[in-house]
Amino acid sequence: MKNRLKVLRAERDWSQADLADRLEVSRQTINALETGKYDPSLPLAFRIARLFGQSIEAIFDDGQG
Amino acid sequence: MTNPASPAGRRYIKRFMPVMAVYVVTVLGVSWAFNSTEPTGPVAWALAAAPALPLLGIIWAMGMYLREEADEFQRNVLIESILWGLGLTMAGLSVWGFLEIYVDAPKLPTFLAFPLFCGAMGIAQAFVRRRYR
Repeated sequence: MKNRLKVLRAERDWSQADLADRLEVSRQTINALETGKYDPSLPLAFRIARLFGQSIEAIFDDGQG
Repeated sequence: MTNPASPAGRRYIKRFMPVMAVYVVTVLGVSWAFNSTEPTGPVAWALAAAPALPLLGIIWAMGMYLREEADEFQRNVLIESILWGLGLTMAGLSVWGFLEIYVDAPKLPTFLAFPLFCGAMGIAQAFVRRRYR
């Protein structure tokens, strides 16, 4: 699924490792999310949305909107 | 096999190491017992089954890792690898089983099923991880 994780991360000047630490996941997880190869579960999507202070729809795009 | 960076991955290693040590000691001990004492009856059966117990421990440790790993992506990678490992092992053993029946292929000891699964899972994991890069 397309998402704006990489942009949001760059805006805050965080590395993949920084974001991984903040979400308590591995760096590989961040990479798989950013490349759109792995779609997060709803709980992880909520954690990501809260961390960036945005709604899930504002970060992830399922192409149906 | 697991994600060594996570607490669950570290706990897996902490469980895996002693269990493998017990496995080696058990195999050596049982082999010595059968060579030197020629056990019979229920004792022989119990002794013969003993080396399998630590392997059950490995399966238990894998299950605990899946329960404890908080990183859902890493859990997902392992689950996919396990399914590939199981599928490949069962496919291979099914084909080999018929070869044994019809063309006298060498009899494969059934205890090899688990090591074959571990090998297949390990190889599969490399491919699964590459797909997510």
